Amino acid sequence: MKIEMKNIQKSFGNNDVIKDVSFSVQGGEICALLGENGAGKSTLMNILGGVLQMDSGSILVDGKKINFETPGDSLEAGIAFIHQELNLINDLPIYENMFMGREIKTKRGSLNLKEMYDKTAKMFERMNVDLDPGKMVRDLDASYKQIVEICRAMMTNASIIIMDEPTTSLTDSEIKRVFKMMETMKEQNVGLIFISHKLNEVMQICNRYLVLRDGNLAAEGSVSDVTTKDLASYMVGYDVRTESLRREKENDEKLGDEVLRVEGLTDHQFFRDISFSINVGEIVGVTGLLGDGRSELFQAIFGAEKFLSGKIYLNATEVKIKSTYQAIKEGIAYLPRNRKENGIIKDMNIIENASIATWPMFSRHGVINTDKHWQNFQKQRETLRLKMGEHSDSINSLSGGNQQKVVLSKWLAANPRILILDNPTQGVDVGAKEDIYDIILKLAEENIAIIVLSSEAQEIIRVCDRAFVMYHGVIQGEVRDEMMNEHTIMRLATGGELELERSEQPL
Amino acid sequence: MMPELKNTPPEKKKRTFFDWFKYKWSNDPLFSILIALIIMVILQTLTLGFDYNSVGEWFQTWINNWINILRNNAGIGIVALGMTFVIMTGGIDLAVGSTLVITGAFSMYLLDTGSQGILGAIGVTGLPAIILTIIMVLGFGYLLGALIGVTVTKGMVPPFIATLGAMMIFRSVTQHFAQGYNTTVPMEFLQISSFKMGNLMIMPIIYWAVIAAILYYVSKRTTFGRQIIAVGSNERAAMLSGINVNKVKLRVYALMGLLVSIAAIIQVSRIGSMDFSNAGRGMEMDAIAAAVVGGTNMLGGRGFILGTVYGMLIIAVMNNLLNLFGVPPFLREAFKGLIVIVAVLLQRKEKGA
Repeated sequence: MKIEMKNIQKSFGNNDVIKDVSFSVQGGEICALLGENGAGKSTLMNILGGVLQMDSGSILVDGKKINFETPGDSLEAGIAFIHQELNLINDLPIYENMFMGREIKTKRGSLNLKEMYDKTAKMFERMNVDLDPGKMVRDLDASYKQIVEICRAMMTNASIIIMDEPTTSLTDSEIKRVFKMMETMKEQNVGLIFISHKLNEVMQICNRYLVLRDGNLAAEGSVSDVTTKDLASYMVGYDVRTESLRREKENDEKLGDEVLRVEGLTDHQFFRDISFSINVGEIVGVTGLLGDGRSELFQAIFGAEKFLSGKIYLNATEVKIKSTYQAIKEGIAYLPRNRKENGIIKDMNIIENASIATWPMFSRHGVINTDKHWQNFQKQRETLRLKMGEHSDSINSLSGGNQQKVVLSKWLAANPRILILDNPTQGVDVGAKEDIYDIILKLAEENIAIIVLSSEAQEIIRVCDRAFVMYHGVIQGEVRDEMMNEHTIMRLATGGELELERSEQPL
Repeated sequence: MMPELKNTPPEKKKRTFFDWFKYKWSNDPLFSILIALIIMVILQTLTLGFDYNSVGEWFQTWINNWINILRNNAGIGIVALGMTFVIMTGGIDLAVGSTLVITGAFSMYLLDTGSQGILGAIGVTGLPAIILTIIMVLGFGYLLGALIGVTVTKGMVPPFIATLGAMMIFRSVTQHFAQGYNTTVPMEFLQISSFKMGNLMIMPIIYWAVIAAILYYVSKRTTFGRQIIAVGSNERAAMLSGINVNKVKLRVYALMGLLVSIAAIIQVSRIGSMDFSNAGRGMEMDAIAAAVVGGTNMLGGRGFILGTVYGMLIIAVMNNLLNLFGVPPFLREAFKGLIVIVAVLLQRKEKGA
């Protein structure tokens, strides 16, 4: 099957989101759809998925013009759309989810659970998925949820499947699982449109690429002809740096005093026996696969979660941090992962989101000093290169990258000594990503100790002075200098030993 | 139309009244509520008629009507303000009616001039007794609210369940202990509500206005007020921003209890007694209705003190209108229900625009 979109145009009010875009996709290929946030990717795909209506242009399915007015129309034409937020019901088993809205019924009108179960099992077999259809969706990890969604799309006999950033919340091993699945579908002559910010993944899995920029098709072609650097520059319209930002270290004595030391930190589930120390002005990475416990560990240090035993020292004095408020007073800041769930207060405007952590600090008798927040934010607005309208605009009016900068600015206002950044570039476009790296480096110069938690080894390697790799709740090893490469990090993250590494490549 | 034109913001660029109206309608969440209120007041004014000997007489009738409306609703109005905060944190308080009864009963026990007055028994009478009563009743209300707050936060009982339980407990306990017991409240205590300024009995209205003004300021300018929104909008993000979520919630429920005890004092001092089996019944629903009409989001995060005042007034004026129109009493609740639904529908439309 082949789908062509011709001369598509779409505008929201005065804002032309898609300006005359044409492209085609056919069965048996994986086509990457790239672009910065706001380039028009989602709008284009929502038109194809029948969620939005185009202003002009046409969609041809196997050469026949078809009108897509509802998601149902496009599903009928064989196009399935897997949204970034998965549409699965956690409290129902897999097989019922597979038939959500298209339930198989018995003659008497009740649900034919057995047949739904069998069909699901058959589909799993066809797609080489090792999963019990009777399992509750709640008990699945993110990659299997993604896979269930894919199988559900396959169940509708879809021949083109749109996947909107399927890998953002997945770990490397889970991504592999999803990729394997995508290969299987490709072999079965299904066409895939893969929306992603991760260029390495595009290089790995896709045949073709399409790049959107400001509502125009900026580039398209075969993935084998380009490098990630090319793709990045197509996306932003200028050359993007990919060089390491890691600072050259003259000697260790230049580093400041120890600011944070953790000894034997253990909780009941996520991490155990964690010990490390961090100095003033250092940028330390912490990485690992999903379930490594790094988020939980640093949330515990930040006072957001409890731990059983162990000691935390700030500037060589032991502290007992029982609440996040206390952590902030001690000079610890934590930028959480999953901005939407943990970072943003959607009912508040930009300046309030940027000042929430410092309300108690900048207030007298409980009355907030708005002027002080204003001045503070005004300064940061420039250093953070925030693109925004008015201070009083809703936080939802900003793109992902700018939202992240606002969340970051709330922590900078608190003037921390230790800044923990958990997945700071999650869902952030290329330009804003580089901005955030710049900010990290600048803050380190200002003698703030920075801890970057990330699942992207590349990010750690480019920015951090050294890194801890975690595996199932323990620090598996520490890498620095020449040891900081993807190979070593991956080895540690999957439970390998650092010692082995040393003997293999003598330094 | 004249008074509305005066509100036009001073802009250099020429904007027509219509532009301004459209802008406000789609951007100011309280605007449609205010318009609804104005329309109802105009209707009410027309219904009162102009069949009077002089403008002065007409005005006198109009004012008296308004004072009645406001005074009758001051108690619920105050409770609705606290309810707004509770709902903004994502919670709900069903126990307000029962809290009203138990704090009201407590005040009467303290003050009774007969044989069973607690303060009388230990020899405190007169003004000191009244002041002591007020302090103790407010403290009691605050404490009961805090108790609910602790159940919700530390006990992690959902607010609906915790306050449903409290609602049953408080009233039942009150009814048991106050069975067949007559109290007489000293005349001086009645002055709290009945004191006349000039010849107007407006004390409850003043309490309501002052509390609304304070809470408005609290919601806009203080850490506590803003933290309420943060907690209701995204509890996890609020916690990770260093907000003590439990403390905020606890204080909101305690404040609710305090406000209810104020309403109880107003009610007892207005009529000198309280019907423990019926007083405050349905109060929680009226308070929730006022908050919802005023733009508060039942899911938390969004709410307006000023909106709740408007909401309360809309419901009150409508009751008054139905009265003036002679609508049978049993039908009146239906209109109230309609108003709540229409108000929320109106707010929906705004979001779509």
